[in-house]
Amino acid sequence: MKKFVFSLIILLSTISATTYAQCNESVKKAVLELMGDAQYIKDFSVTLEKAPNEAKTGMVRFNVLLNNRNHYKFNVANGAANPDGIIMQLYDKEELLSSNFEGGKKYAGFEFVCRATKVYQLVFSFAGGQEGCAEAVLSLVKQYSEGEMNF
Amino acid sequence: MYKNLLFSLLIMAGMQLMSSCAGCSDSGKKSQGDEDALTLPDSLISDAPLRLSEEIMNEVIGNISSPVEMAGLFKNSGVDFTQRILNNPDNVSNYETSYQRALNLGVYSADLGYINTFDKNNIVVSYLLAVKNLADGIRVGQFFDFNALRRMASSSTNLDSLMEMSQTSFNKMDSYLREQNRSNVSSLIVTGAWVEGMYIASSIVRESGDKELSDRIAEQKNVVNILEIILSNYASDAGFAELVQSVEDLKAAYAPVRITTELGEPQRIEKDGSLIFIQAEVSTVHYTPEDLENIMATIENIRAKIVN
Repeated sequence: MKKFVFSLIILLSTISATTYAQCNESVKKAVLELMGDAQYIKDFSVTLEKAPNEAKTGMVRFNVLLNNRNHYKFNVANGAANPDGIIMQLYDKEELLSSNFEGGKKYAGFEFVCRATKVYQLVFSFAGGQEGCAEAVLSLVKQYSEGEMNF
Repeated sequence: MYKNLLFSLLIMAGMQLMSSCAGCSDSGKKSQGDEDALTLPDSLISDAPLRLSEEIMNEVIGNISSPVEMAGLFKNSGVDFTQRILNNPDNVSNYETSYQRALNLGVYSADLGYINTFDKNNIVVSYLLAVKNLADGIRVGQFFDFNALRRMASSSTNLDSLMEMSQTSFNKMDSYLREQNRSNVSSLIVTGAWVEGMYIASSIVRESGDKELSDRIAEQKNVVNILEIILSNYASDAGFAELVQSVEDLKAAYAPVRITTELGEPQRIEKDGSLIFIQAEVSTVHYTPEDLENIMATIENIRAKIVN
């Protein structure tokens, strides 16, 4: 009997570990609200789970084509059970361009004024390699004319 | 004691299992009917091995830009909305093969973006219907809640939501197709949308000479290379082979276009609690009016083959 109860506890823990990583529609709604008045372009569902032989989760990467003179907004909402806020970073190959984790503070997103049309990489990870999920959205804030780009 | 504990644990286990299945039941349903859902009556699928894996194709297809961004530039050009440049929704009945339906589903999606941007809710329903018909024709109509979209279209205050909902529907459909290893269908939809966006842009440039749109057309050089990679993967199919040839013609038209880059200083601004990053790299596109004319003429030619 003791063994059975013990097995059941183990089973429950396993199920919990796999279920908490799932994000539901409310997380997607939350991130769409964070987007505000910007124009929706695309959303990204992120789930970070450990493989049986892994001590930490890695990262999830999406390729995104961004256009010159466009002002984009990247927002992210965390799953309720996330142990920590997810880190969202925008790379141009190896070069980190922007991140929602700046000066030790995590933001709900960042904006990016693109000045070169090409494929960029949007990367999600947890600093401590924990498991969790998040929903992110890419939206368009503004399209600048050539004359407006002298920042 | 053990009985009570066991009972509580069983209740908890039941709840956990129910909640875990709530998240996956939808995908379970999808996979069950999947083979039927995307069995195309005229085979788009060849036995020939793909040159690129589905996984790589997924990454590549995801890189084509959204019609939303092009539609914004149309409005900024100051040129009035013109319905005559769009594909007529009555043409839907002419598209009898899955190849034609998928391509023109993309075409109408770009038209819808253009219509939504100009708040033309008097014609939006006929285009939504065209999209729905074509989506049903390739068995992905479940992603379009036509009644909800139509309700939104009837209220001018809901046009932003309509745009968002139609774009979300397209993204869900695209993800579904790619998850189900149907990237061939997805690639046709993406190609159709891109070509139509470029066609509308060309029409506006011909009318107004708009510099921003002209630059945007020229900057799409890299996207043409991506399209070539995507479509070549399925070139063993006759329809795809013809499309690849068209894209190669377009690539030749883009050959004289040069894109140069210079490095400036990256800027980081914190405004109203938001972080804004301004990219350090600045790219400039170089082309002549003749280059642009060749590109636009080639686009018009490809578009005519798709919609006629």
